Amino acid sequence: MKKFLLMFLLVGMIGLLVACGNGDEEATDSGDTNDTDQTESTDEGSGEAVNITAWAWDPNFNIRALNYAKDLYDGEIDLDLEVIENAQDDIVQRLNTGLSSGTTQGMPNIVLIEDYRAQSFLQAYPDAFYPITDYVVFEDFAPYKIEATSYAGDVYGLPFDTGVTGLYVRVDLLEEAGYTFDDIVDITWSEYTEIGKAVKEATGKDMLTLDPNDNGLMRIMIQSAGSWYFEEDGQTPYLAENEALAASFEALKALFDANIVRLNSDWSQFVGAFNNGDVATVPTGNWITPSVMAEESQSGDWRVAPIPRLEVEGATHASNLGGSSFYVLNQDGKEAAATFLSNTFGGNLEFYDTLITEMGAIGTYLPGLESEAYDMEVEFFGNQQIYNEFVQWTEEIPAVEYGIHTYAVDDIMIVEFQNYLNGQDLSTVLERAQTQAETQLQ
Amino acid sequence: MKQLTKKDNIGWLFVGFSIFAIGLFYFYPMIDALLLSFQSGMGSNLSYTGLTNWSRLLNDPTFITALTNTVTYLLIQVPIMIILALFFSVLLNDSTLKFRGFFRTAIFLPAVTSLVAYSVIFKYMFSGDGIVNQLLLNLSIINEPIFFLSDPFWAKVVIVLAITWRWTGYNMIFYLSALQNIDQSVYEAARIDGASSVQQFFKITIPLLRPIILFTTITSTIGTLQIFDEVVNITGGGPGNSTLSISAYIFDLSFKYTPNFGYAATVSYVIVILVIILSLIQFKVAGEKE
Repeated sequence: MKKFLLMFLLVGMIGLLVACGNGDEEATDSGDTNDTDQTESTDEGSGEAVNITAWAWDPNFNIRALNYAKDLYDGEIDLDLEVIENAQDDIVQRLNTGLSSGTTQGMPNIVLIEDYRAQSFLQAYPDAFYPITDYVVFEDFAPYKIEATSYAGDVYGLPFDTGVTGLYVRVDLLEEAGYTFDDIVDITWSEYTEIGKAVKEATGKDMLTLDPNDNGLMRIMIQSAGSWYFEEDGQTPYLAENEALAASFEALKALFDANIVRLNSDWSQFVGAFNNGDVATVPTGNWITPSVMAEESQSGDWRVAPIPRLEVEGATHASNLGGSSFYVLNQDGKEAAATFLSNTFGGNLEFYDTLITEMGAIGTYLPGLESEAYDMEVEFFGNQQIYNEFVQWTEEIPAVEYGIHTYAVDDIMIVEFQNYLNGQDLSTVLERAQTQAETQLQ
Repeated sequence: MKQLTKKDNIGWLFVGFSIFAIGLFYFYPMIDALLLSFQSGMGSNLSYTGLTNWSRLLNDPTFITALTNTVTYLLIQVPIMIILALFFSVLLNDSTLKFRGFFRTAIFLPAVTSLVAYSVIFKYMFSGDGIVNQLLLNLSIINEPIFFLSDPFWAKVVIVLAITWRWTGYNMIFYLSALQNIDQSVYEAARIDGASSVQQFFKITIPLLRPIILFTTITSTIGTLQIFDEVVNITGGGPGNSTLSISAYIFDLSFKYTPNFGYAATVSYVIVILVIILSLIQFKVAGEKE
């Protein structure tokens, strides 16, 4: 009996050891919330189809685009694409954990990464991504996107959507306050604030809605003036001396002082604010169009104007917020993945036509932007040719180097902006931000 | 003698199994994290940098804010929760109370809800047009909605309220079971001697519950030091870091910013050190004098 017990235990121990030894192959998938098999991809050329996987986050947007691409793919390598939906935060987290542990097991072949984060991944995991420089003619894409997706002389990301910004405006509310749509086109932020006060007085509605924890509007403002949180090397914080940043602080504070900002604390409240008709304008990226159009009762009331500009040198009416690109991971199947991207997102006009007509998604492939589909008049926006306008603004977006620390500095700016709102001196808060950024980003 | 050795071997086999597993899954990661805390760099490009992470820690205003916030939660929330839990448990231990089972379940129920789920619900309850504001407005207590989650003070209050709601019932269960182990004759004797119920509570109940109070205080302290889900889901650390906790900061360092796992490990070791210090203090102050 004792011997039997001993045997049993020994076998159990060996079993455990074996399981541990296999950990490299199996254990890494434990965090996988998807039931999908991440099948190994091999490039056997002819015969078998190559299985590749792609991660993206928005079923109405980038995932839909991937599925259209899958249908339209007609490249040389026979492949089978599986698109997996993951929340963006989850993708970031899983890439970080996977790549830092040095394994590509359980990782996708193609992954969508937001432009602000791209450099951070490319520099933190230099060998984890596959350069696709030879697969695509990058002169065909908007220059600011190529800047965001390149590292050490190679292009790693295939530009997808543009985050070109616009000012979505409720003309009916403007008219109640005695303004027309033309009054809000090509204005400055201080003129915008004045209109906001009049709108508030006439209608009782706020001019815009902001989340104090989301610094998007500040980023819109500084990029529109060709500036960013960093100097051109993308590393050295550029805050204390940054005129555009100082101007954006002042412009934002003016909005709060005029009491025309409705606060929100998350995405659904943000969307709710304009869907419920609580705000007169929405300055943000064009990807908000489907959400604005979701409230059908407001059809005809909306227009899109270029965003107001800062009163500093080099200020424009064009900027960018968000936007993302596709990256290929450096593992088996990379050639197939790169071929897939180059054959679809990399230059398929039919694909880009589908994107705009089916879902109103504006790509960054310049030849695709010449398509007639962009001249479409949108009834919801009073028959304005909004896509056409966005395309024009896309070409005017100043290219800036996002660097690798955008979100770290963003959090510092959020704190210091609160201090500024509470009455502290502008140069004091910016200098403190500069010092803090320098200590933190070493 | 020989028999004994053989028994010993079998004993070691049993123990060895768990030692192996504990070593692999507890001690190895702990030591590895300690080593990691002396390294720095982006993502996988880590290199040993000696004590720079630790000196950076002392000059990092975000870390100091996170530490201050966490200690604030601790100092305010743990006493409130412990006192409430004691209060509820004594009330619910009263054998003359009707529907005791119902009340016990009702107060314990929050402890079985998912952290993320209840956090999201709290977030909506306290939003600008949430139910709390509607209620206060309709009762004419306030004239304008309070933006709880956008105000540094109220945001902290909401976090404290949320944790208290979630964990009071959990601690209450410990007190309830301890109360049932107190012999009723002790109270009977006290009543015969003319002790009021307030005297009974302070002179009998609390001293007899002391080991349990110590236990719940330590577990609550550790839990509050590690607070993460509530902060991330209710306020996201905002407005402007005013509710950021240490754990939320570790997450930001690892996953939100360009990952620096070395520095994140250093910050997480601060929690370890704090837990050890606070537990020692609590043992000294409230523990048995052995």
